[in-house]
Amino acid sequence: MKRYSRELTVAIALSALLVLLAIFAPHFFQPQPLLARLTAQVPVLVLTIGMAVVIISRQIDISVGSQFGVCAVVAGLMSAAGAPLGFALLTATLTGTAMGALNGFLVAWLGLPSIVVSLATMVTWAEVLRLFQQGRFINLPPRVQWFGFSQLVGQASLLFFALGLLGAMAYFLKNRTGGRHFYAVGSDSEAARLAGINPRGVTMLAFVLMGTLTGIAAFCNMVQSPQVDPKCGVGLEMKAIAAAVVGGVAVTGGRGGLWGAFFGLLLLATINPALTYMHVDAYWEKAIQGLVILLAVIADGLRTKRSAA
Amino acid sequence: MNASPAPTKRHWLRHETLLLLVLFAETTYFFYFARNFGTADNIRNIVRHSAEMGLLALAMMPVILTGGIDLSVGSLMGLCAVIFGVLTHDWHWSTLQAVAATLVAGMLAGGFNAALIAFLRLPPLIVTLGTFSLYRGLAEATTQGTKIYRSFDSDFLNLGDQHFFALPIQAWIFAFGALFFWVLVHRTTLGRSFRAIGFSPEGALYAGIPVGHRTALPYMLAGLTAAIAALLFTARLHQARADAGTGYELAAITAVVLGGTSIFGGIGSVHGTLIGIAAIAVLNNGIARVPGVLKAGVGGELASMLTGALLLIALAAPILTRFITRRRAT
Repeated sequence: MKRYSRELTVAIALSALLVLLAIFAPHFFQPQPLLARLTAQVPVLVLTIGMAVVIISRQIDISVGSQFGVCAVVAGLMSAAGAPLGFALLTATLTGTAMGALNGFLVAWLGLPSIVVSLATMVTWAEVLRLFQQGRFINLPPRVQWFGFSQLVGQASLLFFALGLLGAMAYFLKNRTGGRHFYAVGSDSEAARLAGINPRGVTMLAFVLMGTLTGIAAFCNMVQSPQVDPKCGVGLEMKAIAAAVVGGVAVTGGRGGLWGAFFGLLLLATINPALTYMHVDAYWEKAIQGLVILLAVIADGLRTKRSAA
Repeated sequence: MNASPAPTKRHWLRHETLLLLVLFAETTYFFYFARNFGTADNIRNIVRHSAEMGLLALAMMPVILTGGIDLSVGSLMGLCAVIFGVLTHDWHWSTLQAVAATLVAGMLAGGFNAALIAFLRLPPLIVTLGTFSLYRGLAEATTQGTKIYRSFDSDFLNLGDQHFFALPIQAWIFAFGALFFWVLVHRTTLGRSFRAIGFSPEGALYAGIPVGHRTALPYMLAGLTAAIAALLFTARLHQARADAGTGYELAAITAVVLGGTSIFGGIGSVHGTLIGIAAIAVLNNGIARVPGVLKAGVGGELASMLTGALLLIALAAPILTRFITRRRAT
């Protein structure tokens, strides 16, 4: 019970928020807007899965927002040029994987701190994109949105895909040897090395996986709208980090799970519409996100302090 | 790590001379190829535009020296600018009162970082990542994302426009900041203790250094410096706005790392940081004046992109050279 205390806390907070919304703003639960809101979170969920793995390995990647933008533009240009959707997905995924591999190389093999590496790549990719695209939107052919099906089918398939990915990754992390390696390296990389794990390889893998998932997330974002906004990735890294940290993934590495991160994401995603229904300005979003991250970290810090004492 | 002091010293000498050479090459290139780069007017211009970033880099140096990092300084600049705007416009405080209150606010915000990092022992990167979002978010919420405060007291605006003994006032403020941080880091026991903490917090504790307080101090100074930078920014643009200082944290960190301060803490010098600041300031100004870039109007993007790339190279360089020299030795 104690092991899942954070997941429980977040789930309770989420339920409380939903009950409040049910009482004060019942139109929040109208099926079509709710479904749209859930589908809009699919790209963030895919990013959060990768971010949780990176943080569990005791690293961080703040460049995913910029990477997401680059992947989205690559996929958008491919689709606009008439390439089939599968090819757009493939190029976006490969682009993301390559960018993740660069971060991974710098962190795992050169031993550089991930925060500074990803700060540098965050700015570099964002500026490369700005230089290349100059803020122009990309118009997509109509067959791209919702894969050319009806909106309902498109939304449903995205949701199924995301939940399937979440389930598979959660199972892999908790129950497979390969998944446990991320925890081992994150809690003590030297001990992991002595136990026969290659910490560099595992760290590298975490970043590559993050990049691959970023490409997939950018694709999931593209198929939801008739255009690609080159700025669509701005700030997404904060959302993914916040979701993971709020959901109990410890920034000190080696602790937490994907279901917690999932609840964290749902909680954060509900706060904003809840604020809107309660007539608080949307401009508070960034401040609240920062505050939520800080509260989660403080809660973690106090917990470890108590258990150490 | 069994090196005697002599080779380390030679190594650092080499790093800083190398950087000076880069700066010299960069300046020469821009002098010949960039439009109106070498004029006295432009040199004043460089100082005026980079004083804010430079001050942030100076304050970032002791933070990194203790093994920490502060990602929130750019956002805090935005928040301080907005606080100053609100105090002078909406609350009708006098400029002097508003300046004092803004400085206090910056120090408190830095103190908030410090409290979480030094006393709750939370990791600096995630704490300042949180306040990075929080401070910018507060600034945006206050201005509703669009409001910009204009029209300030002319005495205050003189800070941004006027000269004092042929140099912009920013140059004097920056010089004072550089002297302050140089003395703090290189000539006081406080500075020695930052270095000791960065080298080994555990060891510093056993050597009798009050690690908590000494870790907190650089973050508070960084907060205060961000407030000063915000005031300079406001005086220079004649505007107080929520997006003041966006991306400045990256430029500041780059200048410090470029200047030879180890990102892991414990090693570094303020004079190295000064050369790092100069290299970035010259790059930012010069690149926009190269004719091709000037025509395309992409100076800002290109400069930020190169800053990011430069940071990666500066980080990787010492490790790669160590790797190569070790190979040659065996």
